[in-house]
Amino acid sequence: MWGIVKAVAVGTLVSTAFVATAQADGHLSLEGKRIGVAVVGTQHFWDREAFTGAIETVEKLGGEVVQVDGGRDNQVHADNHDVLLANEVDAVISILGDAAVEPKFEALKNAGIPVFTVDHPSPHAINNTTSDNYYMGTTIGRYMADAIGGSGKVAVFNAFEGALRICGIRTGLWKYVLSDYPEIEILQPELAEEFANAPEDARKQTLDLLSQYPEGTIDAIHVGCWDQPAIGVVQALEEAGRTDVVVTALDGGPDTLEIMAEEGSPFVANVAQQPRLIGSTSAMNVARHFAGETLLPQTYVDVVPVNGAEEAKAAYQNLGYGTLE
Amino acid sequence: MAGPVLQMRDIVKTFPGVRALDGASISVSEGEIHGLVGENGAGKSTVIKVLAGVYGADSGSVTLDGQPLTAITPANVHDAGIRFIHQDLHLVPHFTVTESVFMGQEVAGRFGLSKRQMRNMAERFFREVLDIEIGCGRLIRDLTTAERKLVQIARALIDDKARLVVFDEPTAPLAIGEIEKVFAAIRRLKAQGIAMIYVSHYLSEITEICDRVTVFRNGKDVAVFDKISDDSAEDIIKAMVGRELGQLYPNRTHAAGEPLLSVRGLSDGNRFFDVDLTLRRGEILGIAGLIGSGREELVDTLYGLRKAKSGTIELADLPLKLSKPADAVGKGVVLVPRDRRGDGLVLAMNVMENINLASLEEVSKLGWEMRGAARKRAEKLIGDLDIRPTNPDAIGQTLSGGNQQKVVLGRWLAIDARVFILDEPTAGVDVGAKVEIYQLIEDLAAKGAGIVVSSSDPGELIGLCDRILVMMRGRINHEIGTQGLSIDQLVAMTTGAADFSTAGGTARSAHAG
Amino acid sequence: MPDSVATRPGGFDLRRAVGMAPVAIFVAMLIYIGFNAPNFLTWSTIQLVLSQSVPVVVVCLGLSVVVMAGGDDVVSGGIDLSVPATAILCAGIIAQQVTLAEQPLFLAAMLAFGAALIVGALNGFLVTRIGMTPLLTSLAMFVAVVGVNNVITASRRIDIDAPLILFLRDDRIVGLPAGVAIALVLCVVFVFAIHHTKWGLNLQAVGGSREAAEVSGLRPSHFLFWSFVIAAFAGFLASFFVLARGSGSSPGTEDNLLLEMVLATFLGASFSPRRVVTVWGAVLGAVLVAALSIGFKSMGVNVFWTGLIKGSLILIVVALGAASQRMR
Repeated sequence: MWGIVKAVAVGTLVSTAFVATAQADGHLSLEGKRIGVAVVGTQHFWDREAFTGAIETVEKLGGEVVQVDGGRDNQVHADNHDVLLANEVDAVISILGDAAVEPKFEALKNAGIPVFTVDHPSPHAINNTTSDNYYMGTTIGRYMADAIGGSGKVAVFNAFEGALRICGIRTGLWKYVLSDYPEIEILQPELAEEFANAPEDARKQTLDLLSQYPEGTIDAIHVGCWDQPAIGVVQALEEAGRTDVVVTALDGGPDTLEIMAEEGSPFVANVAQQPRLIGSTSAMNVARHFAGETLLPQTYVDVVPVNGAEEAKAAYQNLGYGTLE
Repeated sequence: MAGPVLQMRDIVKTFPGVRALDGASISVSEGEIHGLVGENGAGKSTVIKVLAGVYGADSGSVTLDGQPLTAITPANVHDAGIRFIHQDLHLVPHFTVTESVFMGQEVAGRFGLSKRQMRNMAERFFREVLDIEIGCGRLIRDLTTAERKLVQIARALIDDKARLVVFDEPTAPLAIGEIEKVFAAIRRLKAQGIAMIYVSHYLSEITEICDRVTVFRNGKDVAVFDKISDDSAEDIIKAMVGRELGQLYPNRTHAAGEPLLSVRGLSDGNRFFDVDLTLRRGEILGIAGLIGSGREELVDTLYGLRKAKSGTIELADLPLKLSKPADAVGKGVVLVPRDRRGDGLVLAMNVMENINLASLEEVSKLGWEMRGAARKRAEKLIGDLDIRPTNPDAIGQTLSGGNQQKVVLGRWLAIDARVFILDEPTAGVDVGAKVEIYQLIEDLAAKGAGIVVSSSDPGELIGLCDRILVMMRGRINHEIGTQGLSIDQLVAMTTGAADFSTAGGTARSAHAG
Repeated sequence: MPDSVATRPGGFDLRRAVGMAPVAIFVAMLIYIGFNAPNFLTWSTIQLVLSQSVPVVVVCLGLSVVVMAGGDDVVSGGIDLSVPATAILCAGIIAQQVTLAEQPLFLAAMLAFGAALIVGALNGFLVTRIGMTPLLTSLAMFVAVVGVNNVITASRRIDIDAPLILFLRDDRIVGLPAGVAIALVLCVVFVFAIHHTKWGLNLQAVGGSREAAEVSGLRPSHFLFWSFVIAAFAGFLASFFVLARGSGSSPGTEDNLLLEMVLATFLGASFSPRRVVTVWGAVLGAVLVAALSIGFKSMGVNVFWTGLIKGSLILIVVALGAASQRMR
């Protein structure tokens, strides 16, 4: 796994990797199959991309899609699996969701319907497709350390390290890397961002933080598990007229890549996921399962490290979001 | 016949500044329908509220079946068998007849409500006591007004314990054909020995249904009539009015010119029908009529607050299509509404803003109010109208009733209106302000405006107007010039008494305008 | 003589037709779905509809009582938007106490019950004593209660595996899912209490016409106050079904519950012959909305369109209800 990760470089390589996979899987088909696709919500870019990727791929492979949306309510999302069960679909792709879905997965499994998950490891699922969170955590750690010259003070938004496993991995490994930099200090207490209305909340918290740490006493602000709060962090830095602080975060959606691409942006490093490819890969995995292939419990989809404005522009284009000047 | 069922003697009740009841008495016997009449403010409703336990009397005694009632509270009065049929129906629109009859006095068995038993009781009551088939499962909102009135009566009497029933204007909301149904029910109750007090402004009905009548004036019973016939109306009115016109009203300087506003065949299909009227330039036209006569609705329709079903309104030969007040204002027709606080005055705004409300366009440029011009104009009008305080920044809410009314009038003076529709222009206004408002109206007419005054005060109509239209049950019953017209005659016409007695017999032939 | 009384048109009764339209639309819609979605008109899907509507049904019981006591004017009448928040708070308290503090379920439930009572009494106090409008009061309460829950659960999901909760989730009583059977009993109790007792009828009278109730010797504020307490109690009851449904308490569940509750309750009025909010109407509304949602999902309707279709349909039904009321 690590070997693959290291071999993958930025940009073009990623897309060719996808094309290559698709060609190699030319024999796969979901003809005559009804596939349930459940997503926790479609309001967020990531969720929507994964959902769309899964649906498009199922349809491309000749399958019929039964789609359900939880409207960002984990319980509704869980209930939707019952609908798919009553509908007697042939397989279920379930995107995100909290532990409320576990009993539903079990019921599906008991009814002989295989479950494939996205970003939600479960003992009842055949396979979970996810980004390589280990690589994301270590890469952003190295990039950030480099950006501040290996020494300085860092504030971190870290509300979810204990609550969500993927955040535990990402932030944990970021800290693991920093433990080799004795000159870097993580400011205590750590900040906790809100999930709803994250940019505005982070903006306010950052303004407070900056008044507490005047020029020269803080070097970086990192968002541990995603990048929506980083939008507010960058805003706050601009409002306060501070150019001495760099910002790093994870996920690399189009909105944050745009911010990174601006000239003189304090947002210097990110690791972009490929949510559409993740959804699509999960759908491919369903087809592989029906073709009799044995799947590993986890499929890791490549991520795209983004270091600086130029790489942000390149990633933006290569991930299919358009072109940035 | 035994002694009186109810006897109220020498009841005195004062409110701050007012002696509402000044030694009033009334006595009612078994099986008697006893009329209680008097002008507005004579003390009828106060005495009823004393009986109901709403107000405590300062002195006087109340006895029921010869026993003094001491602690008069609503609950005690109810337990003693005294029931009130309020003018308002107080019914829940989506309740069934049975549910409404038993509201607050439901019959419950061991397992929840005894719906069947209640329905049977209600059906029996309507059949046997009121002698009517009504359909106890129907919803109140599907009933006619008369049927609702009967439901209200049934609610008061269903427990079979009523000794005395007080009716407050029971026919006010009813159409002519419906009254007989309610009267029939009342007569059935009389036959069963129930004593009744019947409060009403409709003298024709009083003389039709009542056995005896007590007349109130200025908080006292001034006359009791033991034998009632159609001829009694004249005497009753004399006892009610008992006064002459004072020097409240201005000298007339206006003179009627060419027609300004003409209404032909106006109906709203519900509250008034086939109304014709012509208003001339420089004329003050009065509209009289009791509450429920359609007077208020007619006035609202003239102003565009209500929709007419048929008929035309023409303004100086220009057909008017009124669907909202703004249309009327644009054509120079303005209304000074009866409820100043609700419709006329923006209470939270100051005097200047209120005065300029209707003429904002003139004092604004490109949508911006020109404060200087607005203030100047407000100050001029405050001076002209003698509004007090003279401060244009005083908040509307803090003004007295008379001054509020002047502000509302002032607003319309600020635009050059041709037709003024004044609905109860002096309601709740003290005498001093009344005189000023009357003078203002006179001045407007002298300048050539046409003015419609709708009022429940017969003295005001006679003192102010050139001509009066009398409405009754949705129609204009009389049209009469005010020269030589007495209050008695006008009251007789508005109460319907004139249609029975000779008091208004020549009214129709009196000259118009 | 003018006939000022509205006469009933003979033959075709437009008002009646418009009045029946909401029911007709829903029935037609469900039949359409039945033909187009596999397995929709089967006993297992019907059970699914019932199961999934249970939390909404139970909060609807509470809301309908408040609407009946306060009158069905959405702005100035009775409404309690805080019921879903109360349900979520109680679920949060129970999950936190049972799973994290390792208290017995009974104790945790008592704690939640106390919290619900406080919310209900506070609502009632603010509306009847301070004179705030129910809409504003309960909306503010909704926000506050969700805030309290966020503090208690630290905005995290908390699993729960108490036997009672698992029983509600997985077991069956006389052929019905246990949650459905128990909710059915609750509905019967509420319908009886509100529609078949003196107290319930008086409560409806208060909402129907405050003056009429006062004239009949009823105290409107008394009924309004208790309606809020009952609504909060319904929230407390709903929390068990919320926990069973999600196998624990998840943050963010209150919004959807709120939306569906308000929709179902006022939709229910369209189904009632008197065009007023009733307990059973609200329950029926909740079940039908759930049926529609599940129907669309089963048909594989594009998720980006479901909200629009569902919303328009409900708008049409409610508008027809209002139209038939205006036609009187």
